[in-house]
Amino acid sequence: MSAFAIFIVLILAIGLLLVSNYNSLVRLRNQVKNAWSQIDVQLKRRHDLIPNLIETVKGYMSHEKETLENITNARSQALKAGTVAEKAKAESMLSGALGRFNVVVENYPDLKANQNFLALQEELTSTENKISFARQNYNDQVLRYNNKIEMFPSNIIAGMFNFTKEEFFEIETAEEREVPKVDFK
Amino acid sequence: MNCPHCKNPMIILELGDVETDYCTVCEGIWLDAGELELLIEDSTAKTELLSSFQLIQHIKEKNIKCPICNTKMEKIYVGKEDKVIIDECKHGHGIWFDKGEILKVIKMGSVNQQNDIINLLTEMYENKIYPTNKEEG
Amino acid sequence: MWEIIRANKRKSLALFIGMGTVLLLLGYLIGGYIFGQEGAPLGVIGAAGLWLILSVISYFSGSKIILGISKAKKISKEDHPRLFNVVEEMTIAAGLPEMPDIYIINEPAPNAFATGIKPENSAVAVTTGLLAMLNRDELQGVIAHELGHIKNRDVLLMTFAGVMLGSIIMISDIFVRGMFYSGHSTDRYRNRSSRENNPAQAVFLILAILFAVLSPVLAQILYFAISRKREYLADASAARFTRYPEGLASALEKLANNTYPLRTANRVTAAFYIVNPLHNKINDLTSTHPPIQERIRILRSMMHGAGFAEYQKAFNKIKRTKKRIIPNSVLSKDKNVSLKTQTGEHPTAGKMKVKRNLGDLMMTFNNYVFVPCACGLKIKVPPTYKNNRVKCPKCGRIHTLPDKRGKL
Repeated sequence: MSAFAIFIVLILAIGLLLVSNYNSLVRLRNQVKNAWSQIDVQLKRRHDLIPNLIETVKGYMSHEKETLENITNARSQALKAGTVAEKAKAESMLSGALGRFNVVVENYPDLKANQNFLALQEELTSTENKISFARQNYNDQVLRYNNKIEMFPSNIIAGMFNFTKEEFFEIETAEEREVPKVDFK
Repeated sequence: MNCPHCKNPMIILELGDVETDYCTVCEGIWLDAGELELLIEDSTAKTELLSSFQLIQHIKEKNIKCPICNTKMEKIYVGKEDKVIIDECKHGHGIWFDKGEILKVIKMGSVNQQNDIINLLTEMYENKIYPTNKEEG
Repeated sequence: MWEIIRANKRKSLALFIGMGTVLLLLGYLIGGYIFGQEGAPLGVIGAAGLWLILSVISYFSGSKIILGISKAKKISKEDHPRLFNVVEEMTIAAGLPEMPDIYIINEPAPNAFATGIKPENSAVAVTTGLLAMLNRDELQGVIAHELGHIKNRDVLLMTFAGVMLGSIIMISDIFVRGMFYSGHSTDRYRNRSSRENNPAQAVFLILAILFAVLSPVLAQILYFAISRKREYLADASAARFTRYPEGLASALEKLANNTYPLRTANRVTAAFYIVNPLHNKINDLTSTHPPIQERIRILRSMMHGAGFAEYQKAFNKIKRTKKRIIPNSVLSKDKNVSLKTQTGEHPTAGKMKVKRNLGDLMMTFNNYVFVPCACGLKIKVPPTYKNNRVKCPKCGRIHTLPDKRGKL
C-alpha cells in the first residue's frame, strides 16, 4: 500500500516537473518572439525612411553618388534577408553605410540647414538607437531560452517537444569593438 | 510677463536671434540672462561693455522689481563716458532697459554702427516716421 | 530587474515603517491628550485614517495632481519629435511594457520628473529650459534616469511616503496652531473631563506638544533618506539603459550650473525631480537628492562598462564606503554591458533657433497670438494682453488681434 502511495506521488511529481518545464520553455520562446518583433518593427521603419532620405539629399549631394548607392544596395539586401543571421549581416552593412553617410554630410552645410533633412536624420538616429536597445533585449531573451534548452531537466523536454535554439542577433560595428574611451574634461 | 515698470503684460519681439519682451506703454525692453551677449556681435567690444558694468549704491531713480523673481533690481552704470543707468536682477535673471536705453547700450558695444539690430532699434526709438496709423490684418 | 524592485522595497520599507511609526505615535499622543488615556487609540485611528484617505486619492489621481500643480502640457510626436523619440528609445531599453505619456512644462529652469503608480500609466515631464539646454545624449541620460524611477517602482513608494509626510505635517500643524489659538480654553476642556488633574493627561499634553514639533522634522529626514537612495539607483539604471554614463553626467553638470529656481515646486514634489529644484543648501541630512557633484563623479568613474556592477564599484570608490547601493542578487545576474562611444551631436540649427522653436511651441499651447508685421518684425502677443489692437513698435502699423482672444 505504502509503496503504491510513494509510486503515485513520484509519478505526480514527475508529471508536475514536466508540465512546469514545458510551460517555462513555451514562455521563454514567446518572449524571444516578442523581443524579435520589437527589432523587426524598427528594421522596417528604417527601410521605409531610406528612400525618403535619398530623395531629400540627392539634389545636394550629386558628388556622393557612391555613398548613396551603397545605402540603397544595403537596403535592398536587407529586404531580401531571411534568417536572423542574414538579417544581422545585412543590417550591419546598412548601419555602416549610413555611418559613412553621416560623416560625408558634415561637408554640406546647406543640407544641414534643411529642416526636412534634419527631421529625417533625427528619425534615423532614433531608429538606429531603438534597434540597438531592442537587440540587447532580444539577445538577453535568446540567452535565457537557449540556456534553458541546454540545462537538465528541461533539455529532455526540449528534445521531446522539439524546442530548438534561437540565433543571436549580432551586429558587428566599429563602435562595439572599440575600447571604451575615457574623457577627462 | 508683465512690465516691471507699468505692470502691463508685455508683448514679445524678435530682435535678430533673440526674443525680447517689450512694453507697449513705456516702450522699455526686458532681456533675459545672456541675451544681451547674443545681441552684440563683436567679442572684444562685448567684453569691454560687460566689464564697464558698475553697481550704483545710492541713486534717486525709482527702484523696480525683477519680473521673474520679484525682488528689487540693482541700478547699474554702463559705459565709460556716456553712462546709461540700467536695472539688473540681483539673481541674474535679466536686465531692464527703459525707453531707448537698449539702443545706447548696444551702440556702445558695437564697432559697426550699422547692423540689423541697431537699425531696427533706431527705427523703434529715434526715427519715428510712422506711416500714419495704417490699419492691417 | 525584479530583484532590484524587491530589494529596493525591503530597504525602503524599514524607513517607510519608521515614518508610519512617527505618524501613529503623533496620533496616539494627541488622542491621549484630547480624549484621555483610553481614547488614545482613537487618535491613532484618526491619523491612520487621514493617511489612508489621502493615499487613496493620490493613488488614483496622483499623476494628475502633480502634473496639474506644475502646469504640464501633454505633447505628441509632432510637437517635439526628438523628445518623443528619446522616450521611446528608453522605453525599449528599460523594457517597460508601455511608453509613458510625455509632458512639457513651460519653465526656463531645466528639470524633469516622472510620475505614475504603475509603469502602465506613468508619465514623464520635462521643462522647456531642459530641452533648450541639453543635447541629444544628455536628454537621453535624463529620460533614462526618469524611466529608471518608473522601472524601479520608486514612484509608488515616494507617493505613499510623500503623502505620509504631508499627513504628519498637516496633523502637527493643526495641533500646534490649535494649542496656540485656544491656549486659554484648554483649561475648560480639562475641567469638564472626569479625569481632571490626572497626571497622565499632563504627560500626554507635554509629550504631544513636543512630538508635534519634532515629528515633521523626523519624518522629513526619513523621507529624504528614502528618496536619496532612489536617486543613486535611478542613476545606475540610466547608465545601464543608455550605456553612456557621460550623457547623464554632462546633463547633471549643466543642471548644477543653472541659476533659475523652479517656480512650481514645493517640499513634497521636490523629491520627484531629477535635481532638487529648491536649492536646499542647509545640509546633507535634509536634502532629497545626493550632492549633484558626487553623482557626476560616480558616473564619470564608470570606465569599464555601463552595468550595475560598474556603478557599484564607482560608487564605492567615490564615496569611500563599502555600502551596497545595488543589491547583490542583481549584481550577480546582471552581465556587464559595454560602454557606447559618443554618438556625436547632430548638425542642428543654431542654439537660439532650437530655443525659439520650443518657445513658439509653448506659446501656441498657451494661446499666444503670432503677428508677423509687414515691416519684417515678428510680434507675439500673450493672452493676458488686454487690448485687441497692437501697434508695431517699428513701423507703427496697427494690427487687430483675432476675436477669440477676448474670451481668454
